Amino acid sequence: MTRAIRNYFVFLGRCGRLAFAGDWRYYTWMGVLSVICLLGLNAYLRQFAQGLIVTGMSDEVSWGVYIANFTFLVGVAAAAVMMVIPAYVYNNEELHDLVIFGELLAVAAILMCLAFVTVDLGRPDRFWHLIPGIGQLNFPASMLSWDVIVLNGYLLLNVHICGYLLYCRYRGRTPAKWFYIPFVFIAIIWAVSIHTVTAFLYVGLGGRSFWNSAIVGPRFLASAFTAGPALMILAIQVVRRVTATSPADEGSRLREGGSVAQNPTSRAATLDDLELLGSRLPEFASAPRELRHSLLAAAMVWEAKAGDVMLRQGDTDNRAFFVLKGRVVVKREEGGRYRITRSLGPGEQFGEISSLAGTPRTGTAVAEEPSLVLSLSADALRKLMKIPRLNKVIRSRMSERLLITDRALMTLRSIVQVSMLINVFLLANEVFKEFYSGNLHVASSKYLFLGLHGHHALVPWIWTAIAFNLTAMVLLVLPVSRSLRWLNVTCVLCIVGIWIEKGMGLVIPGFIPSPLGEMVEYRPSLNETLVCFGIWAFGLLCYTVFLRMSVPILQGRLSKANEGA
Amino acid sequence: MNDQAKTSAVLFSLSLMFLALSLAFARHLWEHPQPGPPVPLVDPALLAPTTIRTSYPQLIRLKADLSDFDCYGCHEKGKPPTLRFDTNQNIIVPKEHSDVVMGHGRHNRNNNCFNCHDEHNLLLLQVRDGREIKLEESPPLCGSCHGPTYRDWEAGAHGRTGGYWNRAAGELKRQICVDCHNPHSPKIPSRTPFPPPHPLRPTQEQARTPHASRLLSSSFPPPSSSPVLPEFSITRTTPRTSEQAHVTLSPF
Amino acid sequence: MPANPSQSNAGPGSNDSISRRSFLRTSAVFASGLAALAASLEPLRHLKDFPSTEQFLQKYYKELSPAEMAKVLKRIEDEVERQYGLRPQVKDLRPMDGVEFVYALNLTRCIGCRKCVHACVAENNQSREPEIQYIRVLRLPHGSMDMEKAEHNYNPESVPEKGFFYMPVQCQHCKNPPCVKVCPVHATWQETDGITVIDYDWCIGCRYCEAACPYWARRFNFTKPSIPKDRVNLNMAYLGDRPRRQGVMEKCHFCIQRTRAGRYPACLEVCPVGARKFGNILDPNSEVSYILRTKRVFIQLKEELGTSPRFFYYFDV
Repeated sequence: MTRAIRNYFVFLGRCGRLAFAGDWRYYTWMGVLSVICLLGLNAYLRQFAQGLIVTGMSDEVSWGVYIANFTFLVGVAAAAVMMVIPAYVYNNEELHDLVIFGELLAVAAILMCLAFVTVDLGRPDRFWHLIPGIGQLNFPASMLSWDVIVLNGYLLLNVHICGYLLYCRYRGRTPAKWFYIPFVFIAIIWAVSIHTVTAFLYVGLGGRSFWNSAIVGPRFLASAFTAGPALMILAIQVVRRVTATSPADEGSRLREGGSVAQNPTSRAATLDDLELLGSRLPEFASAPRELRHSLLAAAMVWEAKAGDVMLRQGDTDNRAFFVLKGRVVVKREEGGRYRITRSLGPGEQFGEISSLAGTPRTGTAVAEEPSLVLSLSADALRKLMKIPRLNKVIRSRMSERLLITDRALMTLRSIVQVSMLINVFLLANEVFKEFYSGNLHVASSKYLFLGLHGHHALVPWIWTAIAFNLTAMVLLVLPVSRSLRWLNVTCVLCIVGIWIEKGMGLVIPGFIPSPLGEMVEYRPSLNETLVCFGIWAFGLLCYTVFLRMSVPILQGRLSKANEGA
Repeated sequence: MNDQAKTSAVLFSLSLMFLALSLAFARHLWEHPQPGPPVPLVDPALLAPTTIRTSYPQLIRLKADLSDFDCYGCHEKGKPPTLRFDTNQNIIVPKEHSDVVMGHGRHNRNNNCFNCHDEHNLLLLQVRDGREIKLEESPPLCGSCHGPTYRDWEAGAHGRTGGYWNRAAGELKRQICVDCHNPHSPKIPSRTPFPPPHPLRPTQEQARTPHASRLLSSSFPPPSSSPVLPEFSITRTTPRTSEQAHVTLSPF
Repeated sequence: MPANPSQSNAGPGSNDSISRRSFLRTSAVFASGLAALAASLEPLRHLKDFPSTEQFLQKYYKELSPAEMAKVLKRIEDEVERQYGLRPQVKDLRPMDGVEFVYALNLTRCIGCRKCVHACVAENNQSREPEIQYIRVLRLPHGSMDMEKAEHNYNPESVPEKGFFYMPVQCQHCKNPPCVKVCPVHATWQETDGITVIDYDWCIGCRYCEAACPYWARRFNFTKPSIPKDRVNLNMAYLGDRPRRQGVMEKCHFCIQRTRAGRYPACLEVCPVGARKFGNILDPNSEVSYILRTKRVFIQLKEELGTSPRFFYYFDV
């Protein structure tokens, strides 16, 4: 038990240390974010000391950019889990690893949501009044109480799922399905519920006719599932970029040199080598002796120096390899850059997919340090795969690679496409309902879209948002957005358009005019804006740290096996 | 520049950035909002629950000078005064009673003093059915024409109440008709309103024109030096009971 | 991130000067970062009243035992004395049995003088700077109840103005209050005598109730309220006019310190024309019972929202 705790703390310690390690680009990024965070903290403490008078809010417009950002980010958190559906429900392999990035984004987004709600409170020192059992949580009548429960629950769910999967990967263990799959499915339902509950915060207020409409809930989900995956598309490309090295560093070394088999020194395998494999891979050791010895004929052992290339991306040979000693790194070339997809230690395999499926090599394997590698023919591997335990271990390790393919991005693009179409359709519904019948409850909509009684501060904002959303919708429908550059432009348009529409375009007009007909406009103060930037910077800081820790784990470069290295 | 040098450069400039930030925070360089004009306070004396006018019964209670009401100080007992009307059937108010402005009922409906006053006993009032009532107990006279209002007044729905709604805890204070309505010109006079609200986030227009108020502490002429009692204060601008029906600035 | 495993630059390297440089720059960043963090706490110097441990841990109103409530009341009295130099009397008045308050307002009579607004401010220790006023008098044109046509800032030479009528609006103490439903911590609730109250020491200041109220009746303390020392009303009730702090909600509470002692609320007492009527609807002899029995047209504001307010506006001429 204590050993398990100690191991976990070592793991956390290594992750923590990783957060501070990086190159100059990393330090610049984190440095800028830290500066913005500090500015935000200082601004918030000013608000804590002097009260919310330092914001632009008033009794007439009593919620502002804090709640606007909160609403937008709950959507992002809910949608980040949307990728879970194709990965788990439809068994889309390519999205599997990206699920972790999505869930980590959800965690960062929820932390930002909780921060935004806390800074909006007039008496944050009384937060404990919200804790059920200790305080007086008004559940189930108050939708805010539901929000408190679902947001914190969602945070715990995602922290559990990510934490468990990453820690298992770190330990080199196959995660126990019962310990995370049920939670994954709960997370899917919970994701829909967090955003619906947040929508109900607004819908349930009968006195505010701008919000008291059934379309708000579906609109929330549609816009969330547009902006969230759009953010993921951008985030994933950033991860791809920063985990890849430029061809100048690698390419020359990898492209030169003749055919693969010539470089490392190879010899026939001996029984000792098989013993060595057995000691590193227990499932092999438990295979029948005759089977193991029958492999000798088809097995070879290579002694590789650091930098030796063992197989090359695109090649069509079909041997499978097991690392006996040392470390081998598999890199994949994408868009002119190389990225490490896996890092393998003793007992781990590579080249097995091409071997079994007969497909070309998906990556290039290079020895990172002097290594001993056992290679088997495809037939030999198939014989091994007949053993159930070995089969299981080899199969589960097959998916332990960090592949960020363009196909994954295109899957996300289809989600964004459909959601944006629905979002625009729902907007059309809202506009018709508000303006066609000419009844009196449309003052807020008039204020938002056209201006009212000489006040029109929000009109340019909402029309910009609509323009962005429509442009994004058109681009998404056209094949031009299949190209990554246009896709990125489209994603930015989606995110900004929906941020404006959901934030300023939903929260503020609900307050103008006031229930007694007063027109009081709202403008965030400098202090308020600094706090918002600070919280966004904090969220990005968290997400960067999460990625900084999880990518090496997923690549296999941070694992228990190389503890102390 | 190689990567190590770049990292050093970044880290050192970051240190400088942090130091600059520390200084900026310590010196509180931004967020010095200009305070707006102070919200003027309202004189509490103006908030006293005074009645619109001070009636004869109130004067009696206050033991004030009642010489105005000594009719037979000038009139002769047993000799009913004569009323004079002009060519338009408007009553001509004698100059001794020039503070009385007749305005009770439209089209001169109530144009005769002795519709209410008893010509045979000027110290009393008379109702059409022959009842005689004391000057300080006038409501039934008003009610003899203003029936629905009188019924409402009896139930407490018309006119002012004060004191205790819970009769078990204390007394209910009722005002009578003439505490608010001048019997000769009963229409409630207009008054200056208290200032409008001062918003937390005024628009530029509102900030430029601070509300001038006619009812604030320093600008308002102080009430006359009559004794101020807990519930009702006398507001007399003349030695006689104020019977003017035009705009008054008295704080009722 | 290190693009290449061989390029890691954290920790002691093989080269002494690199390790010394790396140590220096790491310490420089950490030290300056900590300095910036410490300096960013500067605004806390102006923190005016941070709650004591006792205040922080104070229980919910409905869970306070009589002894605990007595301690709380004493604490409030001490605080007020410390701040204003005068000792008030703070009571915890309970609702009376057989009493349900109702307010009736005669729109024929109201002349829009706003005396009720300021009497309320004086009675209930409302902040003068920034200005908090529970009552807002609207000026509406004859013939319409459309709030969009309401004027809040009328300031003519004299009132009433021809062609308009005046409607004061304050907390309606609804029978089905949306604010009570949405409060996440039960800081606001309706008592048995119909008054919707707020426990100022329990409110977390989320302002959800302010968004929910269809009558714009609730007010928030955006900063520490300021009351001139000589204007403090020393007759206080826990759920009523005792001074509030920064960051909590407040609103009309039917002058709970008066009405639960049997008196009329301040707005009613000062109204020069007697437009306001208040009382116990369960008592058939009260003025309000009479009004609701005999007058024919009542307006409950925004009746269609189902809030069932206790405020009945009526005309009688």
